[in-house]
Amino acid sequence: MAGLSPSERRLQKELMSLMKEPPPGVEVDFDLAEQNLLHWIINMEGAAGTLYEGERFQLQFKFSNKYPFDSPEVTFVGNNIPVHPHIYSNGHICLSILTDDWSPALSVQSVCLSIVSMLSSCKEKQRPPDNAFYVKTCNKNPKKTKWWYHDDSV
Amino acid sequence: MSSNTTENAKHSAEHPDGDGAGATDEDKKDDRMFECNICLDTARDAVVSMCGHLFCWPCLHQWLETRPNRQVCPVCKAAISKEKVIPLYGRGSTKQEDPREKVPPRPAGQRTEPEPGSTFPGFGFGGDNGFHMSFGIGAFPFGFFTSTFNFGDARPSPAPRGTQQHMEEQFLSKLFLWLAVLFIAWLILA
Repeated sequence: MAGLSPSERRLQKELMSLMKEPPPGVEVDFDLAEQNLLHWIINMEGAAGTLYEGERFQLQFKFSNKYPFDSPEVTFVGNNIPVHPHIYSNGHICLSILTDDWSPALSVQSVCLSIVSMLSSCKEKQRPPDNAFYVKTCNKNPKKTKWWYHDDSV
Repeated sequence: MSSNTTENAKHSAEHPDGDGAGATDEDKKDDRMFECNICLDTARDAVVSMCGHLFCWPCLHQWLETRPNRQVCPVCKAAISKEKVIPLYGRGSTKQEDPREKVPPRPAGQRTEPEPGSTFPGFGFGGDNGFHMSFGIGAFPFGFFTSTFNFGDARPSPAPRGTQQHMEEQFLSKLFLWLAVLFIAWLILA
């Protein structure tokens, strides 16, 4: 662990614990993460008994060197972006813990868990109402978006 | 988390050390109890918040600096402040602080006599989710003058016709126009 910055040190620890005790439905691409600790790809499965059962998604995590004081940049990538009222078709996610409500006690695992539970509580698969407009106008980095968190039900 | 459902059998199989419990595992658990909630290392220069959560002082200090106007406990989001954390002095922790740490020294322990509690709740409402909404009544009329009577300058372009946002903007614009009319009428009549 010598020579790692504090953020990499912490990411290394998170990676180890995910390797030892992987949470259900979440699989980290360990090879990629070990090459560059600041860029992870995570494969996740829609939870059983939900609208997303059987679907597979890819999440991309990008960490700054201020992690964990600064939240990771989390987006869905790949060819299957879940259809969900808080997920835009470009993969951006409207989730408060990814910006305003971020806390350094959160982790990759807890973010994944939040996203799985956000998917699981969905009752109707649809894009956000402003999807077309947002996708055209947004910054590439979802953290630059001034999100307005208004709906806690899903 | 990796527990015992059949779906996880595959994962569990990858690390056979899971069952070989013993003294070492217990030791590890003991260590984890004293991990800083931020860097996940064993807490050094440990402090504990009033809500009971353990941190390294450098870690917690950095977090408090990150959001100086909204200082909350990273774990439970209770209000937290530099003055209200308690340093932990274990028996083996008498060594001097690492001088490379460019953070203020860990706050000293303090005793306060019990007193009838009347803590000021603060101004925040909804402060927890970081979304503050305030409608300033004070500048109310002037807002109208500046927004209604500023002809010909650049404002954010309106939403395209036919979209929901366009309709909402139209509605809001009418609503505020009527509010302004009513307000001026009230000024004149009163």
